[in-house]
Amino acid sequence: MRFDFLELPGEAGRGALVRPVVPVQVEDLEEAPQLCLVDSGSTANRLGAWLAEATGVDLDKAPETTLHVGGVTTIARHARCQLTIAGRRYDAPVSFCDPWPFAFNLLGQEGFLRFFRVTLCAAESWLEVEPEAWS
Amino acid sequence: MPRFTVAGQQFELEQSEIEHCLDGRLPDPVREHYVVVLGRRFPPKQVLACATGLDRADFTTHQARRILKRLGFVAARATEASGRDGVNDASGEGPRAGRQAEALRPYAGQWVALAGPTELLVAADSPQEVLAWLARHERRAPYGMFRVPTSLTEAEGGAPA
Repeated sequence: MRFDFLELPGEAGRGALVRPVVPVQVEDLEEAPQLCLVDSGSTANRLGAWLAEATGVDLDKAPETTLHVGGVTTIARHARCQLTIAGRRYDAPVSFCDPWPFAFNLLGQEGFLRFFRVTLCAAESWLEVEPEAWS
Repeated sequence: MPRFTVAGQQFELEQSEIEHCLDGRLPDPVREHYVVVLGRRFPPKQVLACATGLDRADFTTHQARRILKRLGFVAARATEASGRDGVNDASGEGPRAGRQAEALRPYAGQWVALAGPTELLVAADSPQEVLAWLARHERRAPYGMFRVPTSLTEAEGGAPA
């Protein structure tokens, strides 16, 4: 499935900044897929903790670690939840982070790139996401 | 202060009072007509109902538009411009030649839900408000929701200042 990059407002007088994002349905939150940034440098999927609360993912006994992301120290609680991407629903490991002041949630290696083959064409501002045959 | 008769009742209304009344409220979905209040597009009936306390069934969209225009609000049809408040001629880089970026620019720092690349459903200060609005109006945001970055640094993955 192909997705256009998201255009974001740049600084005044400059062109748009484009970002490779993919809509992700978290659990059964069909009415509001989350636009997530594809981040090959991230080892895991990292979502704002508010999403766990909004979708009823229980983090009470979830193991937690302290992470430093983009200059922010955050508590990541690790859980599994159902994600739907490019029409494929799967059980994914996700780190729910609080605080998460960033504009985007992140799709990383373990919970996303391991399950999908991604082709990026920055020259034409699109990316294609296809489920791996085995997944 | 301008006086108006609506549904057989007299009201004295001022632009500033209406702005105060709508401050912090999220616009309902705009179907055909809208008025711009505090930089946001509201259905005219939502605005007049808020200002007068009347039920929306007590007056027509046309009445509401006429009154609000007389008070100085910009009123238009949703189909007259593709962007927000007439932003429809952006030119630049990106898959949509900058139109999406320009449509999002007024919402920097807010959570938005999009029905299409430039079709905003709602903008709010928190994701919970966006979800509540979608549920209340039984709407879906097939293009997704996210927070519009406030700066280049944020758009590139940094935290807000």
